[in-house]
Amino acid sequence: MPITFIDIERQKSWRIGLLLFFLVALYFLFAFIIAQAVVLFLLGTRSFFVIGSANYAVIIAVSVLTLALVHFGISGYTAVQRVIEQVRAETPDPEDGIHRQLVNIIAEIHIASGNTRKIRCMVIPTLSMNALAVTDLKGEAVIAITEGLLSRLSRDQLEAVVAHEAYHILSGDCLETSLAASLFGIYASAVDGLKGASTEDVRAVPFLLLFWMLSTLASMVNMFISREREYRADAGAVRMTRNPLALAEALHRISARWSGAGFISDGLEMLCISSPTVDSHDEAEGWLDDLLSTHPPVRKRIAVLLGMAHLSPSALDKQDRSRTPVQMPPLPAGSFEGGSVQEPLMFCPSCRGPLVREPAESTTVFRCHACRGLLVDNDKIPRILARKQVECTDRLLALVRAVTADNQRSLAIRQKRLKERKNAETIPCPKCGRVMFRTFYSYAYLIEIDRCNACCLTWFDADELEMLQYIIENKITGAIENLQEFHG
Amino acid sequence: MSVVWILAGFFLLLALWGICIYNRLVMLKNDVRNAWSQVDVQLKRRYDLIPNLVAAVKGFMEHEKTLLQNVVDARARAMAADRIRDRSSAEDSLTNCLNGFFAVMEGYPVLKSNENVMHLQEELVSTENRIAFSRQLYNDLVANYRTRLEVFPDMIISSLFSFRPAEYFSAGRDDLQLPKAALSSSAQ
Repeated sequence: MPITFIDIERQKSWRIGLLLFFLVALYFLFAFIIAQAVVLFLLGTRSFFVIGSANYAVIIAVSVLTLALVHFGISGYTAVQRVIEQVRAETPDPEDGIHRQLVNIIAEIHIASGNTRKIRCMVIPTLSMNALAVTDLKGEAVIAITEGLLSRLSRDQLEAVVAHEAYHILSGDCLETSLAASLFGIYASAVDGLKGASTEDVRAVPFLLLFWMLSTLASMVNMFISREREYRADAGAVRMTRNPLALAEALHRISARWSGAGFISDGLEMLCISSPTVDSHDEAEGWLDDLLSTHPPVRKRIAVLLGMAHLSPSALDKQDRSRTPVQMPPLPAGSFEGGSVQEPLMFCPSCRGPLVREPAESTTVFRCHACRGLLVDNDKIPRILARKQVECTDRLLALVRAVTADNQRSLAIRQKRLKERKNAETIPCPKCGRVMFRTFYSYAYLIEIDRCNACCLTWFDADELEMLQYIIENKITGAIENLQEFHG
Repeated sequence: MSVVWILAGFFLLLALWGICIYNRLVMLKNDVRNAWSQVDVQLKRRYDLIPNLVAAVKGFMEHEKTLLQNVVDARARAMAADRIRDRSSAEDSLTNCLNGFFAVMEGYPVLKSNENVMHLQEELVSTENRIAFSRQLYNDLVANYRTRLEVFPDMIISSLFSFRPAEYFSAGRDDLQLPKAALSSSAQ
């Protein structure tokens, strides 16, 4: 292993170059085979040699190579942009305390690695816990962290995770995986498309098989080496932060929670810190599992890290050093100190009291102190939900039971008689005055909220946010069958 | 005649080999210098942040006058230090002072709800980490460079062109003791 990260930057190129060359050659070969197959298919049952013999082959080869080259160029230069759009990552909000912390942490890791590469950070607005790194041929590098991870890890744990991702970027693993994900993603989506077509048309089946083989083979080439890379990135992160315990704790916490299956799609899983999909191969060892899984068993990674810290695995359960929720002293009712003068004053839509800007979970919301209702920006909801710790009181539990049961019933009724919806309940948006749209937060979490789609604001009546948080924390979901037909 | 050619070729190879080693040493030396400037930038950043934090918390922490004064004094001492060795010990005592200060701050919940103070504290914590990381990188590079100066073939070139070993930015002697528990009396 080279001594410093500056050395890694200087030495990595040939290894990455070789791998990239292999993948790209594989890609071009496939493209050529596919083109041949297509031509064969179009010309019917003529023998392969007819096409292969004449100028056909040259024409096909040249056109395919040009096409493939263009595709390669485009995917190589837009990989970062594509992945960011796919996971809907956003730039951190400078007004948000925890996002500012993330920006600081990236700057720190940047220094620890010796300023070799500019790395941007982004936030993925989901409650899942995962982190991913992307780079492309332009030299742009992004580390994206989910809101759930940001809020549930302490500062040094987050730093360890960022260091792990930064190592992927510095060592060049990430460029190769990003490119492969970008190049072979087209085959993966072709497989999805053809799956539907093959049920109707038998002629699509050979193509389905071919595309499936290509995407599987390409990902297998990647997977074969990706397990070892994860161990090395863990080691690299420890060398940057000198804190193996924090990384072990972070992995422990990530593995215990939902890591984003479904939200982070296939093909991107190799870019993540922990595999978002759950598979029987993930926690198993052996050459076949090495071949079929992107990440080494978390158990083993944690054991290696704890070995570095000279601790036994039982130490992990004893100490829970996660982010402690910041205790806010309760504001006296009707206090205006938090409000800023520049903003136009807004009034509570249900009781006409003034709305006061106040800090909540390192970001800001507007509260009515008369009826305890809350006005929240739509993009801040996942953050608050992820960060807020709600204590389980009997009152809240009873409220949750009653409200979800009630909503369940009203939903069932509405399903039958769509037209009989009460219009009298609607309230105006505090900002623009238009009627807010009443809906459930989601059909899994039956809490009624009011949304203004023009201002991207959401109104929670008293306790509604707490109830929603409680339901999500404890995974209380109603019966969600038969709900698909209903779209109110 | 051929002997002359062989000798000339030999010396040419020798010279090329020497140039390679020389260039590598220069590269390492510049890495070290670059890393040092980074340490310096981060230390300056801390000097700038401390007065802001002290000013922000002064009103809340009437009983911690001596603690605040210690931080201010430690900052002044660190800024005045010249040589790397003096400076590293002065910076270490400043770090200790700040850590004690943060520990005492934990006891003031009113500070935790103050947006400005929390922001400053986060900036300072970040700066502490940046200093630690840039120092870690600097020391790694110095170790790398010093090893190169001392291993066998490079040693000849380094002594020929009198490369000087860079100095570690390390913990001073007084840091090896356990930190004193001076906070118990001041926390009341």
